[in-house]
Order: sequence, then structure tokens, then C-alpha cells
Amino acid sequence: MSGAAGASARPVAGARAAQLLAARLPQAVLRREEGYGEETVVIAREHLVVAAELLRDDADGLYTMPLFVTAVDWPDREPQAPRFDIVYQLRSLHFNDTCRLVVQVTEADATVPTLERVFAGMDWHERECYDLFGIVFTGHHDLLRILLPDDWEGHPLRKDYVSFGEPVAFTHNLQWALPAQERPRDMPGASR
Amino acid sequence: MGVSEARWDAGLLRAQSDAPAIPLPRSGARERTAVQTGVITTTVGKVIAWGRYSSLWPALFGLACCAIEMMATGNSRYDMSRFGAEVFRASPRQADLMIVAGRVSQKMAPVLRQIYDQMPEPKWVISMGACASCGGIFNNYAIVQGVDKVVPVDVYIPGCPPRPEGLLDAIVKLQKKIAAEPASLRG
Amino acid sequence: MAAVMPPQGGPGGADPFAPGRDRLGVRAENDAVELVELGDNTMELNMGPQHPSTHGVLRLVLELDGEVVRECRPDIGYLHTGFEKSFESHTYQQCIPLTDRMDYLAPPINNFGFSLAVEKLLGIEVPPRGQYIRVIMCELARIGSHLVWFGTHALDLGATTPFLYAWRERETILDINELVSGVRMMTSYIRVGGLMADVPEEFDAMVEQVIHTFPKFIDEYELLLTKNPIWVQRTRGLGVITPAAALAYGCSGPTLRGSGIAYDLRKAQPYSSYDHFDFDVPIGTRGDVYDRYLIRMQEMRESLRIIEQAFRNLPGGPVNTEDRKVALPPRNEINTSMESLIHHFKLVTEGFRTPRGEVYQAVESPRGELGFYLVSDGGNRPYRCKVRAPSFSNLSSLPHMCRGELIADVVAVIGSIDIVLGDVDR
Repeated sequence: MSGAAGASARPVAGARAAQLLAARLPQAVLRREEGYGEETVVIAREHLVVAAELLRDDADGLYTMPLFVTAVDWPDREPQAPRFDIVYQLRSLHFNDTCRLVVQVTEADATVPTLERVFAGMDWHERECYDLFGIVFTGHHDLLRILLPDDWEGHPLRKDYVSFGEPVAFTHNLQWALPAQERPRDMPGASR
Repeated sequence: MGVSEARWDAGLLRAQSDAPAIPLPRSGARERTAVQTGVITTTVGKVIAWGRYSSLWPALFGLACCAIEMMATGNSRYDMSRFGAEVFRASPRQADLMIVAGRVSQKMAPVLRQIYDQMPEPKWVISMGACASCGGIFNNYAIVQGVDKVVPVDVYIPGCPPRPEGLLDAIVKLQKKIAAEPASLRG
Repeated sequence: MAAVMPPQGGPGGADPFAPGRDRLGVRAENDAVELVELGDNTMELNMGPQHPSTHGVLRLVLELDGEVVRECRPDIGYLHTGFEKSFESHTYQQCIPLTDRMDYLAPPINNFGFSLAVEKLLGIEVPPRGQYIRVIMCELARIGSHLVWFGTHALDLGATTPFLYAWRERETILDINELVSGVRMMTSYIRVGGLMADVPEEFDAMVEQVIHTFPKFIDEYELLLTKNPIWVQRTRGLGVITPAAALAYGCSGPTLRGSGIAYDLRKAQPYSSYDHFDFDVPIGTRGDVYDRYLIRMQEMRESLRIIEQAFRNLPGGPVNTEDRKVALPPRNEINTSMESLIHHFKLVTEGFRTPRGEVYQAVESPRGELGFYLVSDGGNRPYRCKVRAPSFSNLSSLPHMCRGELIADVVAVIGSIDIVLGDVDR
């Protein structure tokens, strides 16, 4: 398991990237956080593209493989702190390391510059993040919904999006146990 | 020769030697000897129903995990072709059975309806698995809670995924349903 | 399809499928994205989502110039199930059956990745016997998944015999699944803290049977296809992807290894005692469909090697962690000890709590790097569980691989990426 072998403990994942950024692009690094053997770098939004290119191209980094970009929604942080954490995870095969970058954006200004020209694989991941969270990636050539139908309203993975399919049938709402065609027509939600 | 010692071809030998027929323990014994002489009496409805249920051609509609069990049912161990349902047609226009195998997402529901509409009558629908029958374990925004909201279903199969024997049982039940309904009911 | 899904477009622009719009293709050269103008003397063909060869509900919109594919736009989302939203409303152990259904060809591996991520947060370690059995079950699942890939890929290209042969072996693996967990496919056997239960006695005989008989069967499959001139002609030199492009798209697994990059998480970042076993990682040279086929065939053999080593050296002892705040107490204790009974009740109804924090844990699935990015707010449910699906990234390289190929070859390329739509769409 991770680092539990004892003698040679695994290096902290992402430490290399954090050091590289701190050395070459210190103005981009807002904060460094460490936990569970992994290090996260919080980046300023305006320096994101430059930081990603640095991590990809620098001989000490070579983080050439994009893993994903996603968001984490902390609605209770507003208005003191930004609501969304946009999380990027990159992998360096050369140094066998993976690093995490975080950009924090508020709900009112949920935009981030696109990384699709830095990593081709970020194209679809950014579309997915837009689809599920509503984060707009400025400069993306074709930011459309990818997983949900094109006319879907709302962004499901936000914490204020209530997700439910159908009530579970108990004795007080037993009509829900009937097959769809046999339910009473005027039942609320019968046609959903 | 008692019934306990009867061999599978005993009836054949007997018929050839013009001996009285062995009373077989199922209906159709009379038809069986009649077949040897070349004449069967039945009704047109029964023949049509027999033709319909003995050669159900499923449309390929495997969506998710249940599709893998559907493939396993069609393979050598469980062998759906024993029931005449081996020929999976890719085009719905050549199929008469739609086995909805897997969860139907909101984006897929119009496609499901379109494929169903493209199938010619008579057609039947088997809803395979919990997700197709009622939404399964996914009671959320993305999954249609039961495919019977989109197409009319004849047989529901519970399971996640149902065992291949479950799918075979559903096909047998559907065959009995087809045998029971009047031939003029569907086209 | 345009009538069925009226698109409104995102902030970027209009509907990509509307005729007359400037068609822009995207190409990756040496990991940068380049926008290319397409001609307009082409035919647009819709492939899927109901299609025998798309391996699920995948829709491709192909721009054809005669028989040659100029542009291929995958349209996914037809199996979007909302797993990540569902994770947020289930306790950690309740999430395990959900993870089964994502990559449904190798369910134990999904359970494995999720369990490892949660165990990383909790800081607990599974005993060696549990780790070895996890490895055995996952490698069996890997073989089962490769058998499905083998059967369906060959079937798409017109060979029906491998389909029947592959499933014959897969039934043996499903029998083992059923023996240990009661379920053929969605085992939910690997759980946080260890396993559902220790393996029964018949497990030994069945795994011995697998170890003895499968190498011969895999030779049989190779006999059918590997030197078959039709197969070689249909797959060699097709769907080539360069190593740099594969990396840029985030490809992993055989799709990446086919291009010559020897990256396998079981070797690079060993988890759950994979470093105790001796096995090789096959890589290709040309990055074409044929190389990816050879890699997966060899991977089946390597998995058998791992299973044999793990099985022969299977240690004794418990399979679940000793931490009683996470693992269910043994059944005999529940009858006598009040604390055990209360623990059992709390663990099943409420679940255990994880400390605050975030982890990323990846495992090597048959498709590539399956990663779980797990964020916890200190509660008993994942606050956010992002699943990094290998098929999603591998599929994004499909347009790159299909450009310039004949339309009949698109089917071969899709088969060689070995996508599972449950993984792509989640």
C-alpha cells in the first residue's frame, strides 16, 4: 500500500511539481497543501496556462499526461472564499509522479482559461466539467454538453441540484409501485 | 416394454411397425402419431402463434451490463438458440423482439422510442434487469425510472444483472404469452 | 438525430452537427491542439447509438469523402448514469455496488480502486491474505474483460468462432465469481477494509483448473487469429497513434502501450502487493490495431502468471483489516459481545467516517488508468468522488486514429481501444 512498506517510503506525490512551480513561477503559487502523501498546489487563475506549459515542457517536470480536470463544489464557503475548486491532475511518466493543481473560482465568475491547447486530452474533460458544473473554459473551441442531452437545464453535480428519479413506494404512496402505464394520470410526477 | 424403459425412438419404431402408440405423458401424443402419417389438425391461430414464438428475432439493444449477460445467454453454455431466439438483428426493421438490456439514460430514451417505432408489428418488449424495469439502483436525475415509461413492456426480468436462466425464463414466458393471445391482435 | 435533440449550444458557439457551419476539426500533433478546416464535399453519416459494433451506446458522426473518414465526432452520454452524484448520497460501503456497474466488464477492479482510495484516506492496511486474494480476483477479472474484448472485437471484424470460445472460458471465471461472492458479474467482493469474506474451500480447485487449462486456451485463440492473413490484413497498420499523441490525449493501458510506452500502474506504482509478483508488461512497436491485439493476448498470459504466483504463495490469516471502526466484526462475536453488535449496527446503517482531505488513487484496469479522486469533508459519505475513467480519455483519441481510414476500419479501431460505455459515460 502507499508508503506502508516501511524502509523506503514513497516520495510525496506532486512534490516535484510544487517545487518546480515554486522555483520557476512563484507568482502563480498561492498555496501548497499536503496530506495523505500527496501535495496540492493552488494556482492563480491567470497563470494557469503558463504553469501547465511549464510542468509539461520543463526537463524537471515532464508532466505530459493529462489525467482529468474536475470541480469540487463548496457552496458554504461563499462569500468568504470561492465556491468552486477546479482540480487538475497531471501525470509524469518520466518521473513516475502525479501532481494536482487547484484553481479556485467564485460562482459569479466561474470561468477558467482552457488547457486544451496545452493537452489535447483536456478537451473532453473540460466539456464534462462544463456539463456537470457549469464552469466555463474560456477559449475552448467547442464548449458543449458532452454527457447530458443538449437541452438539459442545470448542472447536476452542483450541490444545490436536487437529484432524484422517483419516490420509493411505501404504503402511503402505493401508486408508485404500479407500472408506469397503470399509474393514475393526475399523480404528480407520473409523467417524468 | 414399460414406459420406464421407453427409449427416445421407441415411438418411431412402434409407428413403423403399425403397433398402437405409446401413451406419452404429454398432450400432443395424438398429433405425434398423426405426424407419422402426414396430417396435423390444429387452428390457424395456433400455427401463427407457434411460428411467432418459435422464431423470435431480438433486436440488438444491449445498453449496459445486462447486455453482457444477454451475450452470455446467447453463447454455448446457456444457448438461447434452443428457443429460436438466436438471430440478433442489428436493424430493428428485421426484428420482432426488443430486449432492453441495461439502464436507459435520459439521452437514450428518445432513441429507444425511435428504435421501437421502427420495428414492424408484431413486436414484443422484454425489459431485462432492474434498471430497465424500474430504474434499478439508480434513482437519480440521469436514468429513466423504468423503460415502460417509453415503450410498452411484455415481460419484466428482475436481477442486476439477471442470470442467463432468468432471461431464458422470460423468453419462455413470452412464448407462452404469445401462444395465448389471439393471432389477429397484432397486425 | 437533430430533431430528437434540439441543441442550444454552449457559450462557445452553435450546433456542431448543423449543416453549412464552418467545420472545424481538431488534431493533436505532438500534444498541442490544431484546428483544421474541412472540405464540404463530404457526406455525413450517423453511426449508432444503436449499432452492433460500437460496443455499447456510442454515437459517431462520420464525415465521409467516399469511403474515407475525414472527421469523426463521437457523441457520448447515452449511458450517463450520474454515478458521481449518486456517490455523494451513499455511504462508502454502499458505494461499492455502485462502482461495480461503471466498468461492467471488470467489476472487481472498480471496487478495488475505490476501496484503495478510501483506505488511503483512512490510513488502514489490508492484511496480506486479503491483498493476495484481491490480486487474484482482479487478475481473473482482467482475463474475463480481455476475453469479452477478444470475442467482440473478432465478431465485429467478421470472425464468429472466437466469440463462442471466449465466452466458454469466461463462464469459468464467472463461476469463480459466483463461488466467492454469490454473483456472477457485479461481485462487490472487494470492500473497504478487505473483502466481503474469505474464499470458500472450492476456490482452490477452481483456480487450479484455471491455471492449468487457460494457457492452452489462449494458445487456441492465437492459433485462430494471430497469423490469420485476413486478420492481419484487417488490423495491421490501422488506427496508428504516435506515443506523443497518445500521451497528449491521456491514453493509458494497451492503447498507450501499443505505441511503445511501457507504463503500467501495477509496475510503476505498485499497490496491494503487486510488487511481490514477477510479470512482464507487453508493449507494441507500431501503435496500430494489431499491436494492441497482441498486447492484450499477452496480458492474459501475464495475468495467469500473477494468479499462479499469488495462489501458490497465498498466506494465511485474516482477510479484513483489524480496525474495528471500519471492518465488520466476525459473526460469532456478534452473538456474544454487545460492543460488536453495536459496531455492526453502526457500520451497516451509518457507515464509518473518514477524515477530511482528498486523495487520488489509481489502479490498472484492463482499459488503462482507472483513478478515483476522493474528497472527504469528514463525514460518512464521499463529498466528491470523481472517477477518472480510462475509456473516456482513450475514446477522445478515436478521431485522431480514424482520420484518413476507411469507414469499415472504424469498427476495427473502436474494438482495439476496448471501450466500455459505462466507463465513458459514468
